[in-house]
Amino acid sequence: MKITVKRWHAIAQWQWDTGKTDDNGDAEEDVCGICRIPFEGCCPTCKVPGDDCPLIWGECSHVFHMHCLLKWIGTAASKQQCPMDRRPWGETIAHLSVHTPRNLDRISISSDRREKGRRE
Amino acid sequence: MSVVYSRRLKKELQEIQIEQADPTKRAAGIQLLQADDLKIWFFSIEVLGESLYKNEVFHLMVRFDPEYPFKSPAVQFVVSDKVKPPVHPHVYTNGHICASILGDDWSPTLSVMAICITIQSMLASCKKKELPEGNDDYVRTAPDNPKKTRFVYHDDTV
Ligand SMILES: [Zn+2]
Ligand SMILES: [Zn+2]
Ligand SMILES: [Zn+2]
Repeated sequence: MKITVKRWHAIAQWQWDTGKTDDNGDAEEDVCGICRIPFEGCCPTCKVPGDDCPLIWGECSHVFHMHCLLKWIGTAASKQQCPMDRRPWGETIAHLSVHTPRNLDRISISSDRREKGRRE
Repeated sequence: MSVVYSRRLKKELQEIQIEQADPTKRAAGIQLLQADDLKIWFFSIEVLGESLYKNEVFHLMVRFDPEYPFKSPAVQFVVSDKVKPPVHPHVYTNGHICASILGDDWSPTLSVMAICITIQSMLASCKKKELPEGNDDYVRTAPDNPKKTRFVYHDDTV
């Protein structure tokens, strides 16, 4: 059987490289502990996920939406501590806007097959 | 104003309602009684198994700050004709609770359920039923909202 590809569209997903070994995108840890929204989505104050709503890593290796974390650090109650472990918050700036489109290998191609007797 | 973060509270409520419907997931002894809005919720709490509070049921009132989860909710035991607060060294007779998780040790990664479980275990581990020191003085002058009180935290393990 001969298949002629009439058109195809690629679907690529991106996700933040949170340094977690496990690739399961919907794992519990892939949710910001402050707003409970997945890292792939943006914080509640932003509209569009991506570089405008980056993630921030603490020296303790905990990850949050930068906007969520800064809002917490901005309160007196935070005592400038990580909300997860209460260690003094220090961030590793180098990580700030790294994102890796590591799911690019999952490109899906949909093809319309032309078969006898089928009209479109 | 973090009205936008109310989505998180809605999510917490949905999760609690799902858990409550599933006996395998439900935290034993903790039940959501009422949550008509995102301002005030009521829970019933009892300690199952052997404890000083066997067969006693308490009601917890949780009032949310618009800044939740950046600010802790105001949590206290309900005092009414029907329900009484537990006699506990960290619980005043007006229902106010002295627990660091509700004040200095609050973190936005905690949740309402985490508070309920902490309070339940505070009761479970109690060795002696007694009122907090200075209860009468505190109750006489206490503000309506326990969050306005500056508590000095006692040993939370008691
Ligand atoms: Zn967040
Ligand atoms: Zn944002
Ligand atoms: Zn941390």
